[in-house]
Amino acid sequence: MNAFAPGIYPRSEALVQATRDLDRGRVSPEAVAEQTRRDVEELVSVQRAAGLAFQSDGMLGWQDLFRPLAEASHGLDARPLTRFLDTNTFYRAVLVEGEPRLETPLPAPDLPAGEWVGTLPSPLAFARAAQDEVSAEKLAANVLAPQIQAWTDAGAALIVLSEPFAAREGDVDELRRALDELPPATLALQLPFADASPILPALADARVSAIGVDFYSTSLDALPTGFPKGILAGMVDARSSALESPAEISRFVEGLVGREPGPVSLVPNGDLQFVPEPIAREKLACLGQVSAGLAEVA
Amino acid sequence: MSIRFVTREIGSLAKPSWRVKTFAGRPLEESDFAAAESWGRRLEVAGHEELVEGLRAGSLSKSQVDGWAAIYAIRLLEQVGLDVVYDGEQKRTEMYDHVAGFARGFEPRGIVRSFDNKYYAKAAVVEAPSVSGPQDVEEFEFVRAQTDRAVKVPLTGAYTMEDWSYDEHYGHEGGLGASAEQRYDGRRRFVHDVAVNVIRPNVEGLIAAGAEWIQIDEPAATTKPDEVPLVVEGFNEATRGVEAKKSMHICFSDYGALWPAVMELEDCLELQLEFANRDSRELGTKDEDRPGYADTLALFKEHGYPGVGLGVLDIHSDFVEPAELVRDRVLYAAEVLGDPERIQVNPDCGLRTRRWDVVYEKLANMVQGTRLAEDALN
Repeated sequence: MNAFAPGIYPRSEALVQATRDLDRGRVSPEAVAEQTRRDVEELVSVQRAAGLAFQSDGMLGWQDLFRPLAEASHGLDARPLTRFLDTNTFYRAVLVEGEPRLETPLPAPDLPAGEWVGTLPSPLAFARAAQDEVSAEKLAANVLAPQIQAWTDAGAALIVLSEPFAAREGDVDELRRALDELPPATLALQLPFADASPILPALADARVSAIGVDFYSTSLDALPTGFPKGILAGMVDARSSALESPAEISRFVEGLVGREPGPVSLVPNGDLQFVPEPIAREKLACLGQVSAGLAEVA
Repeated sequence: MSIRFVTREIGSLAKPSWRVKTFAGRPLEESDFAAAESWGRRLEVAGHEELVEGLRAGSLSKSQVDGWAAIYAIRLLEQVGLDVVYDGEQKRTEMYDHVAGFARGFEPRGIVRSFDNKYYAKAAVVEAPSVSGPQDVEEFEFVRAQTDRAVKVPLTGAYTMEDWSYDEHYGHEGGLGASAEQRYDGRRRFVHDVAVNVIRPNVEGLIAAGAEWIQIDEPAATTKPDEVPLVVEGFNEATRGVEAKKSMHICFSDYGALWPAVMELEDCLELQLEFANRDSRELGTKDEDRPGYADTLALFKEHGYPGVGLGVLDIHSDFVEPAELVRDRVLYAAEVLGDPERIQVNPDCGLRTRRWDVVYEKLANMVQGTRLAEDALN
C-alpha cells in the first residue's frame, strides 16, 4: 500500500520570508525563485526519506489552485478575492473574458519520469471558481485536457484532480460529463475536506482510476463494499496541528481494506498547506511509517 | 429629515515602518525618520518632532512607539473626515494573534498562508481558553483620550477564534472516523468558552471604561455554512445584556449562508460587509452597474435586517475609488433598500494591506462620495 502527498505543500519559513520581502520590494524575484528551488529540493528529499511512492514538487509557486492555469489560458484571468471553502484561505475567482484555451501548458516538475504526482483542479471546481460562466466540460476539453496530456507525456505517474465542491453539492452528473472530456491518463479525483458519502456511489463509474476520500469527514460506512475504484484514503488531517497515531491509522486502514475497494493509497485529506511546514513534514513521515508498517504486515 | 450617513473605518491600518522596525529590532533608516516627519506634519500631529527625535536617538520604548503610531492613525482617520474612529489597531499584532497571544489556552504552532504571499500565525487550543481580565481597556482609554470623535472598538469574534485555531483540546473525539455530530459538538464548546471566558470579560471591561460601540469581527462566519448558528451563538454569549451599540463585521464570505441565522443576533445594530471587492469600477446606479451589491442587498431587503455597513472601498487594491463611484454605490444601496437610514458607510474591511498615502486618498474619497450621495438624496 503506497503513500504520497498531492496538493499544495506549505512554504518553509525561509520561503515565507522571501515572498514577504518580495512584496515589500526588499528582494528580487530571482531570489524568491532560488529559495523556491531549495524548498522543492528539500521537500523531495523529505518525501523520499519518508518512503513515499511518488514525489510532488509541492506546487510552491502556485498562489492558489486555479491561478496558474487561468494565467496560462487565453480567455481567462483572475481578480476578485474569494474565500476557499471551509478554510481561512482565499483564491482569485476566475474571470471569463473569452473562449478559454490553454496557450502554453504549465511546465512539469523537474522530477524523474514515472515517480511524480501532479495536482490540478477538477473541471467542476474550475467551473465553480469561474462562477459557472464557462462550463466544466469546456474547461476540461480546452484547458485541462492539454495540460494533462503535457504532464502525462512528461512522465507523471498520477495526476490528482482536486474537487472540493462536488461532495458539498451532492450531484456529480456535470462532473462525470466533464471527466469524459479528458484524455486517457492515470487520474484520481480527490474530494478534500468533505463528506464524500452523498456522491461516492455515483462516482463508481467516473472516468478516473481512484477517488480521494477524507476520512476525517466521511464515515467508513459510506464506502460501498466492493467499490470498484482505487481509494486515496485521507489518513492524515491537513487542517489539524495534532499529529496522528500511526497505530490508529493502521487499524482504520484494516477496516477500509476489509470493505474490498480497489487499490488503497494513503494521502493527506487535503492540501498540507493548511498546517505549518514543520508539522506537514511530520505528517509526511507518518504516512510513510504507516505505509511501511502495512507493507511489512502484508 | 435630511439623510446623514455615518462614515467609519473597519479596524486595522498598516503599521508605519518605524513602528514595525522598532518592534522587530531592526535598525531604522533615514526613510523611516522622513516618514515619521512628513506624516507628522501632514496629519498635524502635535509634538511629532519629539517622536522623530526619539526615533533617531533610539530612546523610545516600544510602548511609546506604538502609542505614537496609534496617535498618527487616529489623526489620519480624523483628517480624512470619518465620523467614527479607532487607532488602526496599531497596538495589536494582528486580529487573531492579538487574542490568542493574550488568553490562556492557546499555543503558537507556526505560519500558514491566507492567500498569495499573505500569511498569519496560527495557534492551537490546548485547554479551555480564559483570561484573567479584560484585554483592551487600556487601548480603548488611550484612544478615548486622543479624540473627540465617536469611537468603535473592534474585537475578534469567538467563532473566528475557533475556526482559525487548531484544535488539540476539544476534538479528541472528532478525529479519524468521528461523526459529524461529534465534530460539531467539539467546535460548539470551543466557541462557547471563547465567547464567555475570553471575549465577554473584555466587552464588560470596555463598557465599564466608557466604550459605547463594540464591533465583533467574524471574517470566518461562513467558512462552514452550516455553522453560522455558532457565529450567532458566540456573538450573543459575548454581548448579551450589554448596554452599548453592537455590530458585526464579516468579509469575503458567502453572505447567502448568513440568513436566516443572523436574524437571531441579539441587539445587533448592523452587519458591516465587504461589497466593493466584487463590484464593477464603472459608475452607475442600475442593477447591472453594481454586481457586487445586488445579491447581498437583496438579502437585507428580503429579511429586513436592521442595518448594513456598506463596504465601498476594495481593500486589496491600490485603485482609489473616485468619490462618484462611492456615491453611486451608496445611492444604489439606498434605492434597493428603500430606506437610507439603514445604511452606514465603511471600507470593505481593515486597510492594513495598503500604504497610508493610498488609504488617505481612498478614505477621503469615501467621505466625499458619501457627502455627494447625501446631497443627491436630500
